[in-house]
Amino acid sequence: MDKRPPNWVMTVLSIVMLVALWGLDNVSVAANRIVAGSGYASWEAFGWMGVALASLLLLFVLLMAWQPTHSRLNLLSQLAAIILLLLLMPFGLMAASAALIDPQMPQARLSAGAAYWVVLFCALLALVELRLRLALSRFWIVLIMSGVGGLWWLCASLWLDRLALVQEFQAREAAFWLAFSEHLAMVSIAVGVSIVLGIILALLIRRYRAIQRGAFALLNFFQTIPSLALFGLLLAPLAWVSANVPFAAALGIQGIGWTPALLALVIYSLLPMVRNTYVALEAVSPDVLDAASGMGMYPSQRFWQVRVPLALPILLEGIRITAVQAIGLTAVAALIGAGGLGSFIFQGLGQAAMDMVLLGALPILLIALVVDAGLGALSEALRQGASDD
Amino acid sequence: MTSRPVHPRSAYHPIQLLWPLMWLVLLVGVVLMIPHAQTLFQWLAPDARQVIYQRADFTQLLGRHLMVVGVAASITITLGVLAGVMVTRQWGRDFLPLVSQIASLGQTFPPVAVLALAVPALGFGTIPIIVALVLYGLLPIVRNTIAGLKDVDPGVVSAAYGMGMTPGQILRQVELPLAAPVILAGIRTSVTINIATAALGATVGASNLGDPIIAGIVNANNAYIVQGAMVIALLAVSIDSIFEVFQRRLRLHTP
Repeated sequence: MDKRPPNWVMTVLSIVMLVALWGLDNVSVAANRIVAGSGYASWEAFGWMGVALASLLLLFVLLMAWQPTHSRLNLLSQLAAIILLLLLMPFGLMAASAALIDPQMPQARLSAGAAYWVVLFCALLALVELRLRLALSRFWIVLIMSGVGGLWWLCASLWLDRLALVQEFQAREAAFWLAFSEHLAMVSIAVGVSIVLGIILALLIRRYRAIQRGAFALLNFFQTIPSLALFGLLLAPLAWVSANVPFAAALGIQGIGWTPALLALVIYSLLPMVRNTYVALEAVSPDVLDAASGMGMYPSQRFWQVRVPLALPILLEGIRITAVQAIGLTAVAALIGAGGLGSFIFQGLGQAAMDMVLLGALPILLIALVVDAGLGALSEALRQGASDD
Repeated sequence: MTSRPVHPRSAYHPIQLLWPLMWLVLLVGVVLMIPHAQTLFQWLAPDARQVIYQRADFTQLLGRHLMVVGVAASITITLGVLAGVMVTRQWGRDFLPLVSQIASLGQTFPPVAVLALAVPALGFGTIPIIVALVLYGLLPIVRNTIAGLKDVDPGVVSAAYGMGMTPGQILRQVELPLAAPVILAGIRTSVTINIATAALGATVGASNLGDPIIAGIVNANNAYIVQGAMVIALLAVSIDSIFEVFQRRLRLHTP
């Protein structure tokens, strides 16, 4: 048997987690929304038992990672320990809230501190690393993440009412869901419009090759302009249109609000859409097209029955890039009054209420990750389907 | 996120310097003209009492913006290329799957969200913005450094080894030059994103070209917004066109 060095990645990650657990503040308690909280170390927050349990789990991972064998069993046991750690983390917050918060103070709130975030971040990195080492399929990762996420959600909604993030959410639940749906609506409309426009443009570029360079250069140029600036530059002409064209004003077209936001989102979305559609249609192998002609297909049949299905995975990749980009840009659009989850970020920054910033930023991150993973899986499945046939 | 379509290789010609020159002249021209264009901006914001952004001079704002992006970019490039080189060496190979996974997964995170998350952790001001820019800007550079180094033909590396070159020499004289175009493309993406994200830094207390835009939105003054937007857009386009020239030169010099 060959002697292999220890798994350095897991070793480093578990040492970082142990150091954070023992060396940094784990939670902070604030008397109300605005004042800065005071930090508490892990043993003050979770009790000695809690810290001992977490440390034992991490020491186990460290020990396993240090083993020179990289057997599947070894990796699976590390995975189990990390999942257990992630599952136990919300209960740690519960213990902290019971131990540290005075029930007489209804405004008092608990926030996760540096150690908590570091451990969470490293545990997620460890999950990614173990997934890669074990070559787990997407299915298992989705199962694990939805299990962990489900438990977190349950804890947050049932028992963690002292957590600052939960309090922010409860204080503006209706506004949150409104912003959430606005965000999704703007992203869907922008992506939908740019899919249609992108395909039309890509087909035009295929037909009139002369405009190819110019068209891509122009779309590239727009992509270079920072989002804040593009929103600003669209504002003046749109304000002029709404002031001088009665019909446009009746439609709700304004210098600020959703009009410039959607327009800018579509402009940004066009480059990835057009590029991927174009590349996708060009990438279909000429042999396949030859074979299709040989079978007696008409050009239109050949286009719709051969070229489009084969191009679909790359096209979907374009939709994925476009959607992820639009999710982030829509957050910026909140600055010009377009609503969406970004409004919590900028309001929170304005009021120095960091939990409100989190209330906006975390869902945006989650939506981006879910959309990215979902469309990525779909395109992978289509690609496999295409190669199986 | 803003990777570009592959252009057919075109010969380098001094005329290509015209584009960046034109954008730079336009940038400087606009910055110098803004204080004197009272009438034009009055027309854009007829109700406003003051139509030229006064809180700071535009040359100053431009300088601060360039400073923040410049500092962030130099840290990012150093760290990013270093990290990319480290995980592709024999002794760092353990970290390669994780690092390349993070580099591609991390680009899913919207820059605004990264900036917003940096503030609770680091506070308001210029330093948190530089940290956020560095963290986010690292991803495209690390990813492209890894991709560029991986693409180097192993045959070339073993030939260099056979010639008696040391690993350090191989890295500096063979691998990095061959990977340079891909790395430069990553740097270009990173800097473009950073210029845009730095402007958002005005919402977290940094004073730069985003400032007039934010002030204009808050006071409903279109003139401020247009002034800030014009200068940022010109800055971004100028720097991008400079990168374009560099890339063309490099593409010409690498086989």
